[in-house]
Amino acid sequence: MISISPKALTPGSDTSFEQKLDLTNLTPEQVALDINKLNLFYGKKQALNNITMSIPKGQVTAFIGPSGCGKSTLLRSINRMNDLVDNCHITGEIILHGNNIYDKHVDVAELRRKVGMVFQRPNPFPKTIYENVVYGLRIMGENNRRRLDDAAEKSLRSAALWNEVKDRLHESALGLSGGQQQRLVIARAIAIQPEVLLLDEPTSALDPISTLTIEELINDLKKQFTVVIVTHNMQQAARVSDQTAFMYMGDLIEYSDTNTLFTTPMKKKTEDYITGRYG
Amino acid sequence: MNKWFKSGSPWIWLSAGGVSISLISVLGLLWLIASRGLSYFWPSELYQFDLTDEHGAKSVVIGEIYDREQIPVSQLAHLNLALDPEQEVLERLLIKTGNRELVSLDFRWLLSHNIQKTQTPKDLVVVERRTHGNFYGFIESVVFDGNEVDKNKLPELLTRVDDFQDQIDDLQKSDIGAINYQLERLRLKTRKYQLQDKLTPKLQAEIDSEIAALNQDYAILEKELMGYREQISRDHIVMRAMDGQLVTINFEYILKVTFNNQLSVIEKTAVFFSQIGSFLIEDPREANTEGGVFPAIFGTVLMVLLMTVIVSPFGVVAAIYLHEYAGKNAFTKLLRIAVINLAGVPSIVYGVFGLGFFVYMVGGSLDQLFYSENLPSPTFGTPGVLWSALTLAILTLPVVIVSTEEGLSRIPSAMRHGSLALGATKAETLWRIILPIASPAIMTGIILAIARAAGEVAPLMLVGVVKMAPNLPLDGNFPFLHLDRKFMHLGFHIYDVGFQSPNVEAARPLVFATALLLVSIIVALNMTAVSIRNKLRERYKMLEH
Repeated sequence: MISISPKALTPGSDTSFEQKLDLTNLTPEQVALDINKLNLFYGKKQALNNITMSIPKGQVTAFIGPSGCGKSTLLRSINRMNDLVDNCHITGEIILHGNNIYDKHVDVAELRRKVGMVFQRPNPFPKTIYENVVYGLRIMGENNRRRLDDAAEKSLRSAALWNEVKDRLHESALGLSGGQQQRLVIARAIAIQPEVLLLDEPTSALDPISTLTIEELINDLKKQFTVVIVTHNMQQAARVSDQTAFMYMGDLIEYSDTNTLFTTPMKKKTEDYITGRYG
Repeated sequence: MNKWFKSGSPWIWLSAGGVSISLISVLGLLWLIASRGLSYFWPSELYQFDLTDEHGAKSVVIGEIYDREQIPVSQLAHLNLALDPEQEVLERLLIKTGNRELVSLDFRWLLSHNIQKTQTPKDLVVVERRTHGNFYGFIESVVFDGNEVDKNKLPELLTRVDDFQDQIDDLQKSDIGAINYQLERLRLKTRKYQLQDKLTPKLQAEIDSEIAALNQDYAILEKELMGYREQISRDHIVMRAMDGQLVTINFEYILKVTFNNQLSVIEKTAVFFSQIGSFLIEDPREANTEGGVFPAIFGTVLMVLLMTVIVSPFGVVAAIYLHEYAGKNAFTKLLRIAVINLAGVPSIVYGVFGLGFFVYMVGGSLDQLFYSENLPSPTFGTPGVLWSALTLAILTLPVVIVSTEEGLSRIPSAMRHGSLALGATKAETLWRIILPIASPAIMTGIILAIARAAGEVAPLMLVGVVKMAPNLPLDGNFPFLHLDRKFMHLGFHIYDVGFQSPNVEAARPLVFATALLLVSIIVALNMTAVSIRNKLRERYKMLEH
């Protein structure tokens, strides 16, 4: 592995002084999302089995597990990106602000504004850096130049990209490096001020240095947003997350604070996985 | 040997051979039409041939050599020529002799055997005329205002006449044309009121006074026109033809007088380019066998542009529906196959469809509804440029649909997901992200459509092309773009000149020149579209994943 700062190496370092959260018994103010008996099917094949968990507000929650365990599928259910998959159907509920997001009356576009998402590979639009960042705002009908400028600067600063791109905001976003592109995509996602930010293996296509930058960024982001991250890299989960959920074959095997899960796992499967016996 | 086969070299050679053959045939085609077509504009030597025919009669022929060919002597046995028995072939020359008022045909064949002497006299001239084709001969005298003047004053006099001629053309085309157009509109207006039973004496009086005013303007213009006519028809030149006859040519009919045999190479080049220029900007004369092709260029380009404007939105919208919204079921598949197969329907079938549907049904109904005052003579219920553009738009629709769909399916889903995850709806994603990225593919479709449409002639013959259109579809009279008018087209012009003209021999170089022009125009249209596409590509180039 690469060398990283000691602070980042300590699991859940930022929250170590806080009280540990009791994940099974959170107060309503502490909860960002409640997933309740969620089953997901691709055609006849069941991909998620009866998942129930609460994701705490203002913290970083990581989903880990071997390939095909359903961690990305679970993440995509939170902002209903699975709707785009043909013959995918869902039972159970995900509660955001007391409403089930799978309710018939829910405006999906509105939901996705509240629950932003960053994908595995950086996917900037073939537009300028500036236009990429303000895309979501323009969709929402914001056309005031000054407000857009402010929002772009603020988001780029939050995504730790401002200093690198401030002189070339109006050049194509495709000229950026992979790591910069991924931070641009994060800036784009946070420009519309979502409540929850979903990161789907955000560093898997990046080099180690860019990975480190993004990981540090995630630590800053949780001050403003609830972050849910899927990663196949256990060290990364240990470094960046406060809570970790281990999934296997569509089941949620174990879900607890990161420190506990990595040091004293309750389940045999979890232990096998984190000690590298399979996966 | 086996090793050589395994290395793949034979296949490389084979494919390289294929490429070379394609390249050679394309270049050969271009070379052929370019050389044949461009030689039409080069001022050739004027020859004077002294002939003695098989009966011993002597004669003189003046003209340009158009062609040479070898014919077997056996074919000429009936002429009883005194030939060397060893000789198997004999050369004969095709000479353009012009002078239509003296001989009925512009061309004649000369057997080289009969030619006693060939000269290129310096003072031979070719006179290009507005009617009756070229005149070849010697200038005998120049008559200016009743007096014979020095022959060297000729260029000066010609410029003077040219100026008058330009003014006459201006008067006829714009001023008098506009008056005629307005008179016609007034007539239709009266007729409309009559049909609707609304023609009051007051209205009638108003219209009458307008007509009277227009007629007054017309009289003034006509007088001016007659004045110019008189000015130019006052002077003439007297020419001596090859058989010694004297012919008077009025300045009114003279376009250009050229001493081809006195020109240096540089002067010839200048003439060459000026000939090309007038070919491009002038109207055709003499049943299209002389003069320029400007109306045909204009018609071709206008029709193709109209077609593009019609086909692009329809094709793109259809492709978007098929790719983004239509359910992925058997019916959609069937629809897609049907669209692809439409591209294989013979173009004349589209012509028949255009005639039956657009011209008779749609055009006929339009006339009933909006142009009833003009009936029984049709306005839109007759072939015209709009119907041609629509017919070709349907013909090229499959091309645009297929390439747009291909472009849409090449866009990585990450782009869609990225936009949707930011709270955009599907329609917003399409409009803001997908369409811009697909625009180069859409342009590819449009390029293919243009290439196909610009070369199509067969369907146009049914829905709007004519041999000679009196007016361009675009002029200075409101509403400026007259979509109901018939138009000329380069492709049809080639067919007409090459196969329908009274003098096919004369027209052959013109056919090549027009073909070259048609190719150049299609290439120019395509190049424009390609450069737009490259700009779009540069702008929306995808990530190199």
